[in-house]
Amino acid sequence: MSSYIFKVTKFEIMRQLKKPAFWAATLLIPIMIGAIYLISFISSNGNVKEPEYDNNTKIAILDESGVLSSDVPFLIEGSKEDGIGKVKNGEATYFFYIPADFADSKKTEFYHISEGLEIFNNDASILKSILLKDASTRTDAKDVLALSGNYEITDHKLSKDGSDANALGRAIIPFFIGIMFFMFVTLCGNRFLFTVIEEKENRISEMILTAISSKHLIIGKIIALLTLGLIQIAAIVIPVLLLIFANRDNEFVSGLLNIIVVDPVSITLSLLLFIASSVFYAGVCTFVGSLVSTARDASSFIGPAIIAMVLPLYFMSSFMATEPTFIVQFLTYFPFTAPIALVLRNGFGTITTPEFCLGIGVVVISSIVAIYFAIRSFQKNSINFGLALPKFLRSKK
Amino acid sequence: MVEINHFKMTFNDKTVIKDLSFTVEKGEIFGLLGSNGSGKTTTIRALLGLYEATGGELLVDGEKYNPENSRVTIGYLPEERGLYRKETVIDNMLYFAMLKGVKNSLEWSRKYLKRVGLADKETTKIEKLSGGQQQKVQLGITIMNEPKLLILDEPTKGFDPVNRRLLMNIIEEMHEKGSSIIMVTHYMDEVERFCNRALLLKDGVARAYGKIKDIRNTFGGKSLDQIFIDVYGGVENE
Repeated sequence: MSSYIFKVTKFEIMRQLKKPAFWAATLLIPIMIGAIYLISFISSNGNVKEPEYDNNTKIAILDESGVLSSDVPFLIEGSKEDGIGKVKNGEATYFFYIPADFADSKKTEFYHISEGLEIFNNDASILKSILLKDASTRTDAKDVLALSGNYEITDHKLSKDGSDANALGRAIIPFFIGIMFFMFVTLCGNRFLFTVIEEKENRISEMILTAISSKHLIIGKIIALLTLGLIQIAAIVIPVLLLIFANRDNEFVSGLLNIIVVDPVSITLSLLLFIASSVFYAGVCTFVGSLVSTARDASSFIGPAIIAMVLPLYFMSSFMATEPTFIVQFLTYFPFTAPIALVLRNGFGTITTPEFCLGIGVVVISSIVAIYFAIRSFQKNSINFGLALPKFLRSKK
Repeated sequence: MVEINHFKMTFNDKTVIKDLSFTVEKGEIFGLLGSNGSGKTTTIRALLGLYEATGGELLVDGEKYNPENSRVTIGYLPEERGLYRKETVIDNMLYFAMLKGVKNSLEWSRKYLKRVGLADKETTKIEKLSGGQQQKVQLGITIMNEPKLLILDEPTKGFDPVNRRLLMNIIEEMHEKGSSIIMVTHYMDEVERFCNRALLLKDGVARAYGKIKDIRNTFGGKSLDQIFIDVYGGVENE
């Protein structure tokens, strides 16, 4: 990296980090998350709904460990596959599997037909009720584990045709990365606009461009603001992850963790998309900032870009379809809509890896073009202290 | 040091500079004179590459100026204030020092601020300073790397006589250290006192160009003040 870029980056990062407003904006979101968590924790205390079941509920339990006494009504014979088969053919609504090594592994499995994008089926805890109720009637050593309630229930969702239906589990990480991009745009968009407008409004450009080229100035600023954006996102994401880790034994959290599908290819591509999209957005904002002379002028230009960015959300149902329509294809490869469109299709699993790579390629090329124009425009318009519209937008006399 | 040949500049069909040629020799103080809007600042901006010339060539030491690769270091003091208003005086100075590769920048900045009477403003934000104080900070930034070519656009505009003298002393020192200087000013006494040569610009062309003595002789030995008034007809083109 050019030493000039490094110098600009260092200055821009340090001046923001010194500002109380930066930290206030950064820490506000985790504080709000913490407050919401605290309120929901307090309000949910004592309101835990016990799962309801009776002897007519279609439950099947295969206990290979022998922890349950033989008079428990739902016990079945056979293999785990038999139990899963009962769920698939409708003989059982719920199938619980207690493996032979339950005493050591403390793990059980829960199979049921998926009811949509659910994180955790509360009926999983029926097994706990059965174990507790049964253990309380006996006094042998196995009851200690059963009574403690200290065991995991892995939730397996099955689709109506019997296949794995963990759509949400596959979507969680891509959507989470998509949310990070949204946070980046929300937190950093204005900063990208203002950083260039500041140079023009305060007429710094006239001084600074005799010491450094506009190329190095703009690239240095973009790197600095991307870094600041990542710091802000980290300040939000890390506390959330710590909160999840601290509550990993919580039924909801462990349910959530159990269904998450960790696909390295999808995660890597999602992260690449996040970086490319952030750079593209930074390039567009910087370009707009270099064209206009005030923040007010900028807002009228940047508005349509933001609307275009969120446009795919209005076609959500189309993105869930396995066969992409023309509009989905268009939104996937149009630079302004591609970031969100690709997140949606990756999350819903309706895009192939080559298509996803092509989409990322479009965003990367668009980023380079946006930064190129931002540099050219800043060089050309940096000391035109009025609105400098491109020739094709000027009215002809 | 500086060579400008047949320079032309047009903005949206309006010609600001028609055909301008002049040179600035190494080690001299050159006065670029003209009324408001005559194209002085445009010429300087084009020389620094901030504007792309419509025609002609503007060379510094035989080549088009590039801030990062030029053989000649340039210090440019624009007419308008151009600093990071939300940052402190010292942060502004250190940032520009870093960009210009100045060593011992903190020590130099503190010494300079003390000299211009701003030692107690080191940690004050630029926006809290008066226009004159900002101009002093800006002059410090301009000269901190001891540039070979110093371009000053109305450096003493709005200063009281005491501070005007202080700033001119600093500029003289830079000249004694070997800097060539292009000075844009409306104070003809400064031109007569400091400049070796000058150029009087009107309607995008040079109306007078040469040694100060020769210019005065051409206009019948009148003072530069009177020549200025004669050339512009007693009315400034605002």
